[in-house]
Amino acid sequence: MNLFEQFANWKFYILGAYPNGPLGGLFLNVSLAIVSIIIGLIIGIFFGLGRASCRRYIKYPSVLYIENIRSTPLLMIVFWFYFFLPVLGFHLPLFWSAVIPLSIYAGAYQAEIVRAGFLAVPRGQMDAALSTGMSRWQALLFVVMPQAFKMMVPSFVSFFNSQFKNTSVVYIIGIVELTQAGIIVSQRQPDRIYAAYICMALGFWIVCYTMSHFAQRLERKLGILDYESYKPEICREDLLLIPIPKAVKKVLISHK
Amino acid sequence: MIKFINVNKKFNKDSYVLKDINLEIEAGEVVVICGPSGAGKSTLVKTINKLEPIDDGEIIVDGFSIQDPKTNLTSLRAEIGVVFQHLNLYPHKSAIQNIMLAPMKVKKLSKKDAKDRACKLMERVGLMKKCDNFPNQLSGGEQQRVAIARSLAMEPKIMLFDEPTSALDPELTSEVLDVMVSLAQSGMTMVVVTHEIGFEYNVADRVVFMDKGEIVEVGRPPDIFVNPQHSRTKEFMSKILHIPVNNGNIDSVNGM
Repeated sequence: MNLFEQFANWKFYILGAYPNGPLGGLFLNVSLAIVSIIIGLIIGIFFGLGRASCRRYIKYPSVLYIENIRSTPLLMIVFWFYFFLPVLGFHLPLFWSAVIPLSIYAGAYQAEIVRAGFLAVPRGQMDAALSTGMSRWQALLFVVMPQAFKMMVPSFVSFFNSQFKNTSVVYIIGIVELTQAGIIVSQRQPDRIYAAYICMALGFWIVCYTMSHFAQRLERKLGILDYESYKPEICREDLLLIPIPKAVKKVLISHK
Repeated sequence: MIKFINVNKKFNKDSYVLKDINLEIEAGEVVVICGPSGAGKSTLVKTINKLEPIDDGEIIVDGFSIQDPKTNLTSLRAEIGVVFQHLNLYPHKSAIQNIMLAPMKVKKLSKKDAKDRACKLMERVGLMKKCDNFPNQLSGGEQQRVAIARSLAMEPKIMLFDEPTSALDPELTSEVLDVMVSLAQSGMTMVVVTHEIGFEYNVADRVVFMDKGEIVEVGRPPDIFVNPQHSRTKEFMSKILHIPVNNGNIDSVNGM
């Protein structure tokens, strides 16, 4: 069994059947994630600020949307759109019937991140900005938003990560993304089953890891991760505050 | 300059935050508001630029009623500088950017003009060398002086101070008070909530004593300190001057 032969169809995992068929594979996961995150962000800003509003006719619909979507599994929402919309007379292309549920799902989570970020900015900042003669929009845009955004970054990164992995759920409606591509290979060519599952894992891992890596650099650039201030004298007894057994400590220190 | 006419603000049906406030403050006057905590001093100051709305009555600032929907609230607020108790500098901007923001966005000054103005103000509050420091690199007193400079950048006609020194270490208060004294000497109309007795006694033109949302007594500082008319004022003054009450005789502060 030739190892290279096992991975000979690597292009199928990345691009699907393209150029002989529709685009798919990892490329499709990434584009599903990007499009749904962008649409979800717009929904999220709207409903997140809506939930923090004091006007009831804005607040309660926002709460209704966020809580209902968050208490429904993503798979359910995907099924709903795939099976229910045609009954109502809407016929969407396959790509969009995957993107829309993903966006709606992302919107609910991002709304909560946006709301938490804005509420974390002290009220005095808004007061200070208003009292210098700025309008509410200016105060929001130049004073509150930059601070809120900074606080949202870590939560957004972890959400982007899980949203990217969530895109694998849509294989259930027949979209040939990475998971589905792997399953197809393992069924049609059973001798390549190990290669298929390794490729699936690698695909997700590489994208997520790259994203986390760049996010950490961004966080450091924004001054969010101030590692130095958390570092106690002996770094091994850090914030976990669990005493390390003496035997383990000996080994660790001798390696130093 | 500022005129309160029968101003009321209710917390709920029966408890008043401000009750029947009548007060007139002339241009160029320095008025100190004092009283026990919960007396409504901060609220009174914040009603002047409508950061706290009032329930009924009227407040006329510089000829404009703040209740009147035709009044341009943002341009009125630009004429009223406020320095808050909590250190409210924008943490994502350096000291000089804090000062430049409002003139650039509200008065549409060019970046160069705004910077010139900010530099002059930083010099005036004695922080010429700390222009590029961020708020977390400044001491509390320095932050408060930058906050004063930030308010002055809009060339206000009125300055409001809401306990500007109460969040500071005792030895840092004097540097803030020095700036306030020089401001008072330049003829600025000032409304100051403070418990700094020296400032009240030497700088204030009038002292307003408030309790439970009402103005109890208004008078020149020597009268209020030495010869208060109202028993509640006597009690309060004896407490902040650390003098035991001997049948209301507190003549011993004469030598202050």
